[in-house]
Amino acid sequence: MLRNRLITVLTFNGGTLFRTKLFEPDYRYTHNFVDSWSVDEIVMLDVTRDPGADKSAFYDVVTQFAKECFVPLAVGGGIRNMDDVRAMMAAGGDKVVVNSGAVERPEFISEIAAAYGRQCVVLSVDARKSETLDGGYEVFSHFATQPTGKTPAEWAAEGETLGAGEIMITSVERDGSLQGYDIPLCRQVSDAVTLPVLGMAGAGNWKHFVEGVEQGGLSAVCTQNIYHFTETSIASAKKFMEKKGIPVRL
Amino acid sequence: MIGIVDYGLGNLTSVAGAVAKSGFEPVVTSDGARLEAADKLILPGVGAFPDGMANLAERGLIDILDDLVIKRRKPILGICLGFQLLGLSSAEFGDTAGLGWIDAPVTRLQPEDQSLRVPHVGWNDLSQTAPDCVLLDGIDDGALFYFVHSYRMETPPDGSQVGTCDYGGAFTAAVQKGNVFGTQFHPEKSQQAGLTLLQNYLEKA
Repeated sequence: MLRNRLITVLTFNGGTLFRTKLFEPDYRYTHNFVDSWSVDEIVMLDVTRDPGADKSAFYDVVTQFAKECFVPLAVGGGIRNMDDVRAMMAAGGDKVVVNSGAVERPEFISEIAAAYGRQCVVLSVDARKSETLDGGYEVFSHFATQPTGKTPAEWAAEGETLGAGEIMITSVERDGSLQGYDIPLCRQVSDAVTLPVLGMAGAGNWKHFVEGVEQGGLSAVCTQNIYHFTETSIASAKKFMEKKGIPVRL
Repeated sequence: MIGIVDYGLGNLTSVAGAVAKSGFEPVVTSDGARLEAADKLILPGVGAFPDGMANLAERGLIDILDDLVIKRRKPILGICLGFQLLGLSSAEFGDTAGLGWIDAPVTRLQPEDQSLRVPHVGWNDLSQTAPDCVLLDGIDDGALFYFVHSYRMETPPDGSQVGTCDYGGAFTAAVQKGNVFGTQFHPEKSQQAGLTLLQNYLEKA
């Protein structure tokens, strides 16, 4: 039986590991706490704002990390063209995470899928609450600063048609909140596609993982709040999920 | 020395890293002489089947691999797309001929349970159908491996299947036919079980 995944998301600012809150770098880590034996998959994102910034610091971090990483590694942040994709893959990525680059030019999703296969493309969708759009959410791009006029369900379904292999849905308001995943948002997206959906932002305790899977329809639950997830805690979280009847890899 | 076939696609870095971790020297190359000098070969893969075959052809690798693997019996391990390329053909983006070393076509994964999502992504059990295959030495039946794919090889009629995985129906997840080995899952991304399988190939195949 396929197991639900627990994914650790690491965000980097200028090559340094940070935690984010409401999409701003919030807390700088001095150690890498990832328990690379219990985690099922790792996502590394470059959240450096300066568009002209040298990306080599991030590539260096990915290259170093990938050497000792024997679980799947998805990498992203600022990917705009096939050269960026190739550089991320060469650094050791198994998948790329695209967000604003796909909003700007949706056919970019198809280009990556044609070269590397659909399973290589994770479409990251950042959503804020909306007063006007159906369903009550709107997709934002460019570090959640620019409205797109699309609902997350619409954009995820379009992404599937274009060739995405997985959808990563993030609630901007829940980022760093520890209040749990935005379940209606996750549900709208998981109902809109037949692809696996990864939920992100808001996990503050282990019950939130269970809610994400059972109520949100998530295939994978993500957390970047690694401050609370040192050494044995990922394994403990998974034992909790298993006790609640969710198939996980222990 | 382990020759990792570079055909311009795929997670070559990950595979090379896992080979180095296992205590062997990886050489990532598309050069025939260097592949010939290697003790064993790995055909990795993340990508689309037609691109995979086109890239192999462009680099003259189809004839080189045919010579090394089929005529001279050098061991080869195909991983994910590399595993599918061992088959007769694939229906991904049309119909494309494969290397044809394993007598089975590659077709779209169609789980009987419609609620199962495709691609099949994540950790799933490997059921051993031929536990005496050297790849599986020291690995528990049902051990978890990491899968990520939308297509799958149909069951080869030649008895080369050594393991299956269930995702709305069983499909072929690992094969061995003489010196030709293949896994649909990614051993280099499957933690200890994966590293053990890779070590088995590198030491015992």
